[in-house]
Amino acid sequence: MRAVTWQGVNEVGVETVPDPTILNDRDVVLKVTRTTTCGSDLHLIGGYIPAMRTGDVIGHEFMGEVVEVGPGVRDRRVGDRVVVNSFIACGTCWYCRQELYSLCDNGNPNPGITEGLWGQSPGGCFGYSHAVGGFAGSHAEYVRVPYADVGTFVVPEEVSDDRALFASDAVSTGWMGADLAGTKPGDTVAVWGAGGVGQMAARAAMLLGAEQVVVIDRLPERLEQVRRHVGAEVVDYSTTDVMAELRERTGGRGPDVCIEAVGMEAHSTGVQGVYDQVKQQLRLQTDRPSAVREAIMACRKGGSVFVLGVFAGPVDKFPLGAAMNKGLTLRGAQVHGQRYTPRILEHMARGELTTEHLATHVMPLEDAARGYELFKSKEDGCVRAVFLP
Amino acid sequence: MDLTQVIGRASGLAGGAGAALLQRLQHVRLPGAGQASATDDPERAARRWRAVTVLRDPADVDPAAGGLPAPLAALGDRIEVRVTPAPGDRGTELAARYRHTPGPDEIGDLRAALREAKALLEVGEVLRVDPQPHGRRAATPQGAALEGAAQAAPREGVL
Repeated sequence: MRAVTWQGVNEVGVETVPDPTILNDRDVVLKVTRTTTCGSDLHLIGGYIPAMRTGDVIGHEFMGEVVEVGPGVRDRRVGDRVVVNSFIACGTCWYCRQELYSLCDNGNPNPGITEGLWGQSPGGCFGYSHAVGGFAGSHAEYVRVPYADVGTFVVPEEVSDDRALFASDAVSTGWMGADLAGTKPGDTVAVWGAGGVGQMAARAAMLLGAEQVVVIDRLPERLEQVRRHVGAEVVDYSTTDVMAELRERTGGRGPDVCIEAVGMEAHSTGVQGVYDQVKQQLRLQTDRPSAVREAIMACRKGGSVFVLGVFAGPVDKFPLGAAMNKGLTLRGAQVHGQRYTPRILEHMARGELTTEHLATHVMPLEDAARGYELFKSKEDGCVRAVFLP
Repeated sequence: MDLTQVIGRASGLAGGAGAALLQRLQHVRLPGAGQASATDDPERAARRWRAVTVLRDPADVDPAAGGLPAPLAALGDRIEVRVTPAPGDRGTELAARYRHTPGPDEIGDLRAALREAKALLEVGEVLRVDPQPHGRRAATPQGAALEGAAQAAPREGVL
């Protein structure tokens, strides 16, 4: 089959690879119908997560049609149209029973790598390096899906492929951030980053009852999407003092909930931006945490900060004093998608959650290298490149 | 020349030697880092109980009742096993250690056996990842090191 592979730092290509097979009883094999770039792929492609092997198939946000079913699968049939969560979870361990699916004890066959890095191992993920399992990704004609009864969801007839695709990761990640940050009716929620995840975190916060939602970015086309498709307020950080603006819009309090949806390659202005760029380029720090710093400083006393963006290692100049003295709740997670996908599909079916606008560039799988170039450079207003295998 | 180019140029010069050194350092194993014991003496570290918590009733895990899960049973009389209820409805703590002072390979065997036993008890099977579809693998030192790390990963970690 044809598949998109990582071929070295900042090198992505399409090549012919073996077809996947059923390896465990609870697997299915999916014919991929849509698979999309995610901002977190850029950290892999850029070499910031140094656990990629040349030839690894990438991609973790996808949907498709079941074409083969393992003997231990109960609820899926050949022909089912399903959307798949990006993290691989068994559904039976203690973490899965707490609905903390990305922390699954039985989803990552390579636990030693991340135990060494972080003290404990999270679950596995499709196409996201050998540190989280080494599973082949979804940018391919076919993909093997372990624990299929837990991680695949049949898409209702009234939800199109174009909409359902993003339930896989962007919407479920955004929803998780808004939910686990404790968003309540009447809250003001600020979201750093107007990519797919940030937009969906904002939309989820609105559906959870937030009274005011503000999204912060610098790209005009993304801010326009937030206004038009999400219905939230926007702040352009390249022309506006974010801290002053948020204080002014919240009666001097600061947002109740701050959601960071940027990750380890955050851009920022001024001396801080130069400092982080230099340290990261010299490999003296793995991550640029400027959006997290700002979220902590902006958050109201006793508020909540949720880190949705992907980080890999230690960060520098972390304002722990602000977090402690302001009594903040600081939380983060990879996506517990299985917890939210059924509810998300219902909202999608009712037209309350629309995602089609995120797919600014839809193209054949063979054009994936160009798709990633557009996505990385954000040229031509690219928010997400979607590949059709 | 914009800022990114300046930084890129600077990092190319200053970072060349530094990056090579850091890459080498990344493969140096610091005593205790990423392992069960950071400060124990080697013998005490090797003799520690290694444990997993299994979301099953103690009766389902008890070796006296149904025999040890196969991966642990394969280690035979070389290990002793302890089964205790975990607090807060978290299931059962399944711990094992060697009766003698083991070497690193034996500790790796025990880690992998405990993880596989947990998967068998909770899921009924051990999740496999190989063979996975992949493209052409370039023969690079970094790639070989990563492949080695991935192959060793089930036997490494903090247990």
